[in-house]
Amino acid sequence: MSAPSTYALIQYAQRRHLAFTETVDGLDEGRFHFSAKDNLCALGFQARAGSAVLEGYRPPFDATPIHRLKAAGGQLVGKTTMDEFGFGSFSTNSAHGVPLNPFDPDRSCGGSSGGAGAAACLIPGHIALGVSTGGSISGPASFCGVVGLTPTYGRVSRYGLIDYGNSLDKVGLLSRSAASIAQHFGTIAGPDPKDPTSCAQPPLAGKGRMPSSLALPREAMENLDPAVRKAFQGALPVLRGMGVAVEEVSMPSLRFALPAYYVLATSEASTNLARYCGMRFGRREEELNQHFNDFFTGVRSEGFGDEAKRRILLGTFCRMVGFRSRYYLKSLAVRQMLIGEYRRVFQEHDAVLTPTMPFLPPRFEDIRRMTPLEMYLADFLTIPPNLVGMPHVSVPCGYVDGLPVGMQVVADHWKEMDLLELAKGWEGAFLYTFPEVRP
Amino acid sequence: MDRETIAKVAKVARLALTDEEMERYAQDLDAILNSFAVLDEAPASDTYALNPVPVVDVLREDEPAQEIDPQLLRGQMGTYEDYVRGPRLS
Amino acid sequence: MKIGLEMHFQLPTRSKLFCPCPTAPAEPNHNICPVCLGYPGSRPSLNRKALEIGLGIAQFLDCRIEERVWFSRKTYFYPDLPKNFQITQYETPLGTDGRFELNGRSIGIWRVHLEEDPGRIRRVGRPGEEIAFVDYNRSGIPLVEIVTAPDLTSPEEARTFIDQLVIELRALCGLEAQDEQTVRVDANISVGEERVEVKNVQGLRNLERALRFEAGRQSKLIAAGKRVVRETRRFDEERKVTTSAREKETEEDYGYIGEPDLGEFRTGNMLRALDLKETPLARARRLVASYGIAEVTAKQLVLTSSRLTDLFEELCHHVPAERAVAWTTGPISGNWSTLQDQAIWPELVQIVKADAEGHINDIEAKRRILALAGVRQEEASGTEDDLSKLISDYIDAHPEVLADYRRNPKAANTVIGHAMKESRGRHSSKEVVEEVKRQMERRA
Repeated sequence: MSAPSTYALIQYAQRRHLAFTETVDGLDEGRFHFSAKDNLCALGFQARAGSAVLEGYRPPFDATPIHRLKAAGGQLVGKTTMDEFGFGSFSTNSAHGVPLNPFDPDRSCGGSSGGAGAAACLIPGHIALGVSTGGSISGPASFCGVVGLTPTYGRVSRYGLIDYGNSLDKVGLLSRSAASIAQHFGTIAGPDPKDPTSCAQPPLAGKGRMPSSLALPREAMENLDPAVRKAFQGALPVLRGMGVAVEEVSMPSLRFALPAYYVLATSEASTNLARYCGMRFGRREEELNQHFNDFFTGVRSEGFGDEAKRRILLGTFCRMVGFRSRYYLKSLAVRQMLIGEYRRVFQEHDAVLTPTMPFLPPRFEDIRRMTPLEMYLADFLTIPPNLVGMPHVSVPCGYVDGLPVGMQVVADHWKEMDLLELAKGWEGAFLYTFPEVRP
Repeated sequence: MDRETIAKVAKVARLALTDEEMERYAQDLDAILNSFAVLDEAPASDTYALNPVPVVDVLREDEPAQEIDPQLLRGQMGTYEDYVRGPRLS
Repeated sequence: MKIGLEMHFQLPTRSKLFCPCPTAPAEPNHNICPVCLGYPGSRPSLNRKALEIGLGIAQFLDCRIEERVWFSRKTYFYPDLPKNFQITQYETPLGTDGRFELNGRSIGIWRVHLEEDPGRIRRVGRPGEEIAFVDYNRSGIPLVEIVTAPDLTSPEEARTFIDQLVIELRALCGLEAQDEQTVRVDANISVGEERVEVKNVQGLRNLERALRFEAGRQSKLIAAGKRVVRETRRFDEERKVTTSAREKETEEDYGYIGEPDLGEFRTGNMLRALDLKETPLARARRLVASYGIAEVTAKQLVLTSSRLTDLFEELCHHVPAERAVAWTTGPISGNWSTLQDQAIWPELVQIVKADAEGHINDIEAKRRILALAGVRQEEASGTEDDLSKLISDYIDAHPEVLADYRRNPKAANTVIGHAMKESRGRHSSKEVVEEVKRQMERRA
């Protein structure tokens, strides 16, 4: 029996696993194909960022990363499902369908780029554009058993990305193999005058240098599910076999990372989301015959989901007079301190190694029982590199009861190509398995 | 995080909350902010940076240009005699 | 009385502050793009020229210049604000602690910073039920906000202050004529102890009216022994009164955070590269200091023409200042349309110099200057010497007229006719007639 067409696989991923919010009607099987998380603007598609407030919004332009992939001959085949505005770690806060894990449809794909993770897993050769703020590329990569690259903050233009946190968002790639990612990463990287934060980067290295010494912070090994601990520790000898040394270190400042991240992310997000008020694009309330405060309040209260409201409230609070110094300004200082902590480690080692997520892909019924705080704490391993804006890659490093476990490697700013060298070497030494797909 | 504070925050953010929601969000934020208390142990700083990597002196030359046809944008917004209709002011 | 002003001026750039949309006048919603409309996915990029102009203004106002500046988000909800936050400068204004010399007094300048203009609302419908119709052409236009200390002491002084400031800023950076559309002011005014804010006054005429009214209102209250309430008021342009502002009563917490999308800016390098133009009144002060001329003269010069003042300064290198003043404000300015051509200035300078050194007399110098101006001598503005010479020359050339005159005084009419014709109205008929008669009598 011949391999299923890409088109058939896309349909399968959509029907069975809700990976996409919208797909194309057909494609050229000969050219490379990519998808975009639904918070990336693209001509010919809606961009709803997992939210009801953006229902019907059709952007009049392509986000720069999409524009560049198209210019390189790629076909945009669909928009992938996500948590509303990126708020979540399981893609359950989606107004347009919750994606189901390719390894077990009763379990989460992770979030917020859950649909991207599913698409990358189910469709060989597919490149999924994802976006990470606190770990939304690594998490889905880990839970869906694929490779996920989160570049340095400012390496890839964010023009056309519907904002969550402007000092934290990064556009990155998920795919079955690091080789695919390496092939296309140079296309989306590079300065874009429409996004000034992308204009501070040094040129992308032509070829990376394989990291030979990894630091493993002991703080990362606490609070892990035994299954994850076992799979991760099973990966260490394989690394050593590749000539990569792993040494335990201590990074005590890591304990400040999670609160500082949530303060900055929600502070920025609460201002980014102020524009959704029914005035123009997206959800347009026809009841304009009200005082503007009532009109705005009505549209926002009806349109935003539960997690979005919670983060808006939290972020608004952290910026308010009387609290701003203690939370917002303090968190800015903490970020700089953590950058210093990583730099200290990088004096002795090439990269930092940890598991990606502290547990296996959770069941939806277990997620429903989690408190908001518990969900935030689940990101404690992906948040630190995201807060400091350093590039990181998540690769599958083991399977437990048929479910994938990921490990994450963090390098210093701008060293994506070194990470890709390691990831390419890794997939030579460790065989990935993917669920059998019969569309 | 008392009821009065949550009500004020919601008003600033233009969110109308039911009594149940006020109660629930107040509890959520309370738990979350308590876990953030560890921030008080971190040292403060006089200077700070807005971005994790330095972004300095990125400027655009003063040349007018419009990539997208404004007529397309007007059409998208729904205008009346070229103005965008908004809500009431009083 | 204490008055402080918070002024917003639109900067003369060709594109907007954070996007390349044109700033030129256009039909509603024609100068728009995803950035100034606040579309999801759009983001700002800073106009270099706006930053240069803003820094120039801060430096001109003698401010302490902030070395590292960035932008902030001021979040509030209003139909004219596309993102429901305004990108402004909160922690790092371009300049602070400056001053402006106003007729010998120093007016404190608290801060100078850049921010974006919101859209413009057209209020449609019955009062009390008005709907907002929004034009986003104005959204994103660069504004400089200048905040003064409450150092102004009357509505008149406040008006004079802004008028002079505008003159200076126009010369400094090409700020356009600030008419009703382009200058907005918030004023703080206290006659007694309590300070009242009058917000969002459009245009300088309205500002003066608003301040006069408010000063009067407060004075009457105080005279009647009543308390002035510390509050925010707005100016009703129709009825020309200030009223309590209930509309925006919702207390906003602006919740300032930095704007990460723009990054930060180091002002030192840009300042050093700026070529700061000297403003007229600053030049006047320098002229007084350098050449010892009267302040009134200096101001007259700079406000007439900067080129004329250039010539004046050139002359001062060769002759005493009072000579330069006399020639510049006299025949040179009288014939400025032709004499402003810099190609002929070297010759002009030589003439004035020759006069000052006594090589020629002032009549001859004037003649030569007028010749340079391409003016036929008869057309020169007449002095008595000219007229009498004109007449005596004619009489010399026509002795028969004298002979006729001895027999009949009406023969003088020929001379009068000639003198009137040749002097071309530079002298009154009475003058001509009197001079002719005087000379004829003397000679006859």
